[in-house]
Amino acid sequence: MPVNAVETARSAAESGRFSRQFSRWLDRRIPPARSVTLDQRRIFIFPSLPGLFFFVLLLLILLTAINYQNNMAYAVAFLLATLFVVSILHTYANLAGLTLHALSATPAFPGQRSEFRLRLQRSGKAAHYALRLSWPQGSDSVVSLADRESCEVALYVPVGNRGWHNPGRLLLESRYPLGLLRCWTWLDLDLQALVYPRPLPTTAPPGGDGGRPEGNARETAGSDDFHGFRSYRPGDSLRQVHWKAVARGHSLQSKVYAAYASRTAWLDWEAFPGIATEQRLSYLCYWALALEKRGEDYGLTLPGVDIAPASGEAHQDRVLAALALYQHGAAAS
Amino acid sequence: MKRAAAAGTLIPRNALVWIIISQFALLAPHLLRLPLWLVLVYLGTAVWRLLVFQGRASFPGRLVRASLALGGCVAVFLSYGNLLGLEPTVALLLIAFAFKLLELVKPKDAYVLLFLGYFICVIGFLFSQDILFVLYSLFTLVLVTTGLVALHRPREDHFRLGSLRLPALMLAQAFPLMLVLFFLFPRIGPLWTVPVKSHAAKTGVSDFMRPGDISELSQSDDVAFRVQFEGDIPPKSELYWRGLVFSVLEEGAWRSLRYNELPGLELRPPAVEPEGEPLAYTVLMLPTQQNWLYSLRYAQPAQRGILSTADYRLYSPVEIEEQLQYRVRSWPGTPLDPELSDWRRETELALPVQDNPATRALAQRLRDGAADSAAFVDAVLQYFRDEPFVYTLQPPLLTAENSMDQFLLQTRRGFCEHYAYAFVVMMRAAGVPARVVAGYQGGEINPVNRTVIVHQFDAHAWAEVWLEGRGWVRIDPTAAVSPDRIELGLEEAVAAEGSFLANSPLSPLRYRGVNWVNMLRLRYDALTYRWQSWVTGFDGEAQYRLLQDLFGSIRAPVFAGAILLSGVVVLVPVGWLLLQRRRPRPLPPEQRLFLEFCEQMRRRGMTRATGEAPGSFGRRVAREAPQLAGWAMQFIDAFEQLEYGGAPRDAAAYRQHLAGLRQQLRRVPGHRHQG
Repeated sequence: MPVNAVETARSAAESGRFSRQFSRWLDRRIPPARSVTLDQRRIFIFPSLPGLFFFVLLLLILLTAINYQNNMAYAVAFLLATLFVVSILHTYANLAGLTLHALSATPAFPGQRSEFRLRLQRSGKAAHYALRLSWPQGSDSVVSLADRESCEVALYVPVGNRGWHNPGRLLLESRYPLGLLRCWTWLDLDLQALVYPRPLPTTAPPGGDGGRPEGNARETAGSDDFHGFRSYRPGDSLRQVHWKAVARGHSLQSKVYAAYASRTAWLDWEAFPGIATEQRLSYLCYWALALEKRGEDYGLTLPGVDIAPASGEAHQDRVLAALALYQHGAAAS
Repeated sequence: MKRAAAAGTLIPRNALVWIIISQFALLAPHLLRLPLWLVLVYLGTAVWRLLVFQGRASFPGRLVRASLALGGCVAVFLSYGNLLGLEPTVALLLIAFAFKLLELVKPKDAYVLLFLGYFICVIGFLFSQDILFVLYSLFTLVLVTTGLVALHRPREDHFRLGSLRLPALMLAQAFPLMLVLFFLFPRIGPLWTVPVKSHAAKTGVSDFMRPGDISELSQSDDVAFRVQFEGDIPPKSELYWRGLVFSVLEEGAWRSLRYNELPGLELRPPAVEPEGEPLAYTVLMLPTQQNWLYSLRYAQPAQRGILSTADYRLYSPVEIEEQLQYRVRSWPGTPLDPELSDWRRETELALPVQDNPATRALAQRLRDGAADSAAFVDAVLQYFRDEPFVYTLQPPLLTAENSMDQFLLQTRRGFCEHYAYAFVVMMRAAGVPARVVAGYQGGEINPVNRTVIVHQFDAHAWAEVWLEGRGWVRIDPTAAVSPDRIELGLEEAVAAEGSFLANSPLSPLRYRGVNWVNMLRLRYDALTYRWQSWVTGFDGEAQYRLLQDLFGSIRAPVFAGAILLSGVVVLVPVGWLLLQRRRPRPLPPEQRLFLEFCEQMRRRGMTRATGEAPGSFGRRVAREAPQLAGWAMQFIDAFEQLEYGGAPRDAAAYRQHLAGLRQQLRRVPGHRHQG
């Protein structure tokens, strides 16, 4: 087992060296850019597998022509051979002049998939067909630009660990029109997805007040301050029922109103002394999600980062982004 | 996602439709050669596959496919009696082509099917290379290519004839380079023997002649060969195309000498000094599945691969399975065999011992009344002229053991072979060496291109007698009976009888009287001749001459250079045409200047965000780099005025504005230091 592991590691290192060299070469040839127009510097072309079999077919036809001394068989062999040559131009032209714009990438939690949005735009009047877009390990999508100038494409890529996730180079390929040639390009659209820390449940941190509301919350049915939802219990006032949710097909829920002396929670880095960075961030992430769900205000304190307590989607995004980029700040720019 | 991926690997409906269409189009030209059940197989598989598409049937299982394949082989074997010849092979290929449709699930299968389609298109040419058929095959190539394209079109595509446009265009673009390769690619001989057309009938004159054989052949309006003379065309009555010489009479039938019957000294033609001016001509012969070639008297082949026999004929060592073009020179005035060897004399005098006593007696009587051999020949011809002999395409069957006695004294109705037969028997009976010659006589002169078209109905048999001091002299007894046959041709000779091409009422040759039909036929024939001599008959010999004419000498670098150069000449315009429509429209100058501005800012660390308006970008630059603020705002103002504002659009003012903008860009503060 250890021997195998060593060998695997060595071969991985070797293939790694090649792929590193290849990606360095690609970076020089096709530098990262938010929008790329495809031209001969960026397009690669090579016979596809059916294309190689097509050569076998040509050889067969040629042998038939020679053995039967049949000139029309010669003519078909040559016509198909030059058809192949002409289809090089057609396949190339199907990618040439296409412009890709990076639009957006949605943030995601580790293990989830981020949605990358691109726009494809053609520059001339000619149509582009059967364009297949994919990221390594991601989903793929086949689109055509026939009767429209541009279109948007969404691709889903599973993300890794906290921080910026670079999905690698986008593969754009096409075999149109004859499938005998594969024309492709590897593009770095300079598009990265933000990956939040993995939320890890934890009890409220001991000693600190992070994650726990300051003061005592009291559920008061008559209060005006909305606190959150809980399952409907017999005896709840009908005015408390969250009818909108019912209309959407959810189970009966009651709105709970509460009043606090002070309802501000602080998610504090220092609340988890002696715990590793990633784990701390995971705990904080969990509590940020939990508090947001409860509709409470919460603030964040990290070394060098202070976010004032608030709530809402935008606030949550800010807090999670700060957690995601903690000590990864350099990657953000 | 998994299901989506699976759906992506299925072939689009439209591709299926085009594949089925091209299958039937490829099958069509083979229909007459194939057993009928094969058509039913095609219909069956197509219906089955369409039902699968509609979800009303499922793909056949492994067992069903195996039994179908086995059943196909057995059916072909039962229909043809073997599996090895060309026809059964083609039938098997066509069956595989049909059954493959039932395995058509993924694009991979479609590639196999369509590539097979290309190959089947080529197979068709083994049976015919006619212009019309070639045009049709070109159309099937477009269909198969359309299937390939449809495989890559969006799945929601509907069937429309417009889909044919791109494949047709691509093939048209490929065409010029194909022509270059066609004429320059070196032609080499067959690499190994291949299955031949086992069912193809041997056509033309056979090497075995019984009374009635040639009149049978004369029912056909097929073309036997076409001849192009380099000089003037000799008169029709001189056009005796010698193909076979029958020296042996056995069991009532004439046959030629076999190679192993010849003594060693008689294997090669005796040396003969050609006399007079030669006739130079090219014969384009259609396949006969036989070895002999046709030529005028005393012919010398002007190319390799053709042999001369001892009786002055041309002979091909291999059977003529494809059309053959050969160049010949003939000296018709040359005496053949001025000296006759003893063996030859004996052979050309031999008669079966007791045959045809009445004929022999008649010959002896005429010989006794003649001074010499030449006078005897005249006497026999005179006999044919004087007695009520009839030249007819419908001779009565000769049933008697002594068939010539029956013919000469009873029926007296015969076609050329009857007269030649009787004449030679009479000559031999009287001691004059003689033999029957078979071939074609005359031909139709096409005024369009001055070729002589020789049809099967021009088949003819005549005689050669050997006369002291003159060698072999051609005597045509038919001419004595029916001078019209030689002067005008068969149609006029049997006009009264109405038997010309009686079995082919639709033959265009029967409507030679209708002027426009005839002209159309002759033009098409001229086209066919050009096609056959330049395209389907283009061989190593023709290639050598063409290259000699084109390049003077044949050297590999010239060759490769010519192919490369023509490739460039053909492909560059295609590429230009294609990319022309995809080139980005150039940006207006002010926008290019703005992009330059953005680039300069980027080098200073301020990158314009996607979708950031020029104005807000300018303000951001001013905020982040106060030392550039004034300059940047000035530039952006000028740009925005030109781009969005109501700045003057007339040419002069526009240029002035542009110049201002350009100057702005050049005056960027700290430009030199930043480099």
